[in-house]
Amino acid sequence: MRNMWIILCSLILLSQAATVQALTRSEVEKNLICYACPGEPLNIDRCGGGDQMRAEIDRRLSLGQSKETILEFFVQQFGDGILTAPPQKGFNLVAYAAPFVGLLIGLVVAVIFVWKWAAAGKSSRGGRNEDVEAAALYKDMEKQVEDELKKLEND
Amino acid sequence: MVTLGNLSQSAAFICSLLAMVLLLIGLMRNDLRFIEAGRRALTGVAVFASMAAFSLARLFMTDNFQVEYVASYSDRALPIFYKATSFWAGQKGSLLFWAWVLSIYIAMVAFNTRKETTRKNTPYIYLVLAAIVSFFFLLLITVSSPFDLLAYMPKDGNGLNPMLQNPGMIFHPPTLFLGYIGFTIPFAYAIASLISGEIDPDWLKKTRRWNILSWIFLTIGIILGGQWAYVELGWGGYWAWDPVENASFIPWLVSTAFIHTSIIQERRNIMKVWNMSLIVLTFLTCIFGTYLVRSGILQSVHDFGATGLGGYFLIFMIVVALGSIILIAESYGDLRTEHSLESLISRESTFLFNNVILLAIAFSTFFGTIFPLISEVVTGNKLTVGEPFFNMVNTPLFLLLLAITGLCPLISWRKSSINNLKQNFMYPFGLAFAGGVLMFGLGIREFYPLVAFTLSIFVSATIVLEFIGGARARKKLTGEVILLAFPKVIWKLRRRYGGYIVHFGVVLVVIGITGSTAFKLEKEVTLQRGGTMSIGDYTLQYKDFNSFQDRNRTVYAATIGVVKDGKAVNDMFTERRYYINAKQPTTEVSLRMSLKEDLYLTMPMIGKNDEITIKAAVNPLLGWGWLGGVFMVVGGIMAIIPSGKRRKAV
Repeated sequence: MRNMWIILCSLILLSQAATVQALTRSEVEKNLICYACPGEPLNIDRCGGGDQMRAEIDRRLSLGQSKETILEFFVQQFGDGILTAPPQKGFNLVAYAAPFVGLLIGLVVAVIFVWKWAAAGKSSRGGRNEDVEAAALYKDMEKQVEDELKKLEND
Repeated sequence: MVTLGNLSQSAAFICSLLAMVLLLIGLMRNDLRFIEAGRRALTGVAVFASMAAFSLARLFMTDNFQVEYVASYSDRALPIFYKATSFWAGQKGSLLFWAWVLSIYIAMVAFNTRKETTRKNTPYIYLVLAAIVSFFFLLLITVSSPFDLLAYMPKDGNGLNPMLQNPGMIFHPPTLFLGYIGFTIPFAYAIASLISGEIDPDWLKKTRRWNILSWIFLTIGIILGGQWAYVELGWGGYWAWDPVENASFIPWLVSTAFIHTSIIQERRNIMKVWNMSLIVLTFLTCIFGTYLVRSGILQSVHDFGATGLGGYFLIFMIVVALGSIILIAESYGDLRTEHSLESLISRESTFLFNNVILLAIAFSTFFGTIFPLISEVVTGNKLTVGEPFFNMVNTPLFLLLLAITGLCPLISWRKSSINNLKQNFMYPFGLAFAGGVLMFGLGIREFYPLVAFTLSIFVSATIVLEFIGGARARKKLTGEVILLAFPKVIWKLRRRYGGYIVHFGVVLVVIGITGSTAFKLEKEVTLQRGGTMSIGDYTLQYKDFNSFQDRNRTVYAATIGVVKDGKAVNDMFTERRYYINAKQPTTEVSLRMSLKEDLYLTMPMIGKNDEITIKAAVNPLLGWGWLGGVFMVVGGIMAIIPSGKRRKAV
């Protein structure tokens, strides 16, 4: 089992070494909004304004510029609103952190409740230390299905 | 027809008010005659609403362009097929569609509960439903009537948006609406229980089919929406995390959470407050969806702009939310039960964690959707929150959800021990691990795809174990051969196995999304006639170009020869269409689908001398995603097919 974990962790670390591929226009496009069609991502948009932006992306890609440099150019021209994802700074960090904070709070609350209910269950059984050793699950599950089937047959 | 439509929707509104008055009198006087009359008035709402819907459909079919709504969404050249679907193409018609379907649902409830009017809860169920349907008809007759007339008779209408002239439009919006509207029924049951003070222990059982049916419709609507976007919009994707898409996904997540914990309440009679809260939240998020589409507060490719209805829906949501919170708080004592679990590790507890994750995804989707508004209020800077944000935030949450989908079946109801878990986990975990190593060896090195595929194997293995266990149990009980026992046990226990089929569908959807997101290839090349381009294993040759007139559009079509791995396969045809009355041309997608990958071609530009720009994409494994959608719907349907026994329906 320990070896399996070591292999798994190694795989995860190795997987971080992603292959470097040439930057394509579509990779840049999906990070931008069409300046002429507010709210519409550039990779979906097909208007004249979008064509101008695509031409500019192509020009900069041919100069060998990175995605970050190209995006920075558009931000300087149109502001942060031109990006499809808010930059990870200042107040925007709230957007990135809130779901995980929410998840964490939810999990903590759920753990507390489950703990409390399990404790209540234990005390309602008069503190008896029930044997929770069960058969392998599929055996357990087989029994459940068997019971349900028997019930249906009897009905 | 216009007069009939106007009168019918007014009559439907009056009928709903009448129902409310009769029900209130019946409740105050404790007089069953009034309650029965109120019930009948509710059926009257459905009759008048149907007449209004018929009138609008007829106006479209007869090209009555003096009706502003018909003139806005139809024209003479529009094929009759799309004239029918234009009914819900705009805000006003979709509102009438909503009210009409709701009234029919209500009539079904009124009919099925005709022998239960003496029960304390029943009049309150009618009352809540009457109040909701009256709100929709009030909007229709006061601020958003589809029967408003223009001061003149135009020669022709503006026509239907070309992007909506797609077979997907027949089913996508109505199925979504059927899903949204369906959750009104369990909501009404829940609220009726709270108002009457008699917490009906069976309300979940009685509304189970409504819940799952609405969930199925919502699932179909979302999948069809993705399919429509994929084949019609021409950008090569199917889900853009657009605010309106998100608005349909949020109630799906919340209702999925509700369906899971309602099982615990049915089995253990616990989590009553939680389930009441979830059904209220499901209903509210459904209304939030329609508010978002009609308020114009967020920019979306789907919305109707500022329609003047946003404020009404906002008030409605606030009233529903506050009213529900007060009612739940007041009934807290009655709802509260002595919660106890036999063990920390049990399926009940995993269901609770599954709820937390589902709600976290719903919250992150909701928060990301409204973040531009929050940002504007706080910083004065209106941002856009799109695909990269949602992919970044939601992907780890989805993977957690997938993991718990696999863990759940491995943990018994009531209690499990560590040794028990070790044994149960051995096979699925071993298979997933071996699969992960194999995929790594095959070159899948990115973290998320590797984890997603590995977890998909894990979840599939747990589902297969469930099916094998069931078949073995049946074999043991009846002595049938395993091949016969297998389908029989699935059919006999279809509620249970329907759920697992849904889970398997989710796994396929994950495979489809992961493959088509992580390994997608895209290329855009401008070609002269005879020119070639290559993408993945494909070489594409621009062979021919021609133009022709087809019904209400002029079509420019390119023929593209396709060679795969050195072998010529069928030619593909991609088009650019110029519709009458449309400001912009549309691109018609050419698609070569298989379970391994899709080859996706569009022609975004036509240059001089038949020069064309071809946008090609290879979307690996996407077909699995669509197949997964089918599994999810089939599993859901299985779960609500009644057993042979006669049961009282709702």
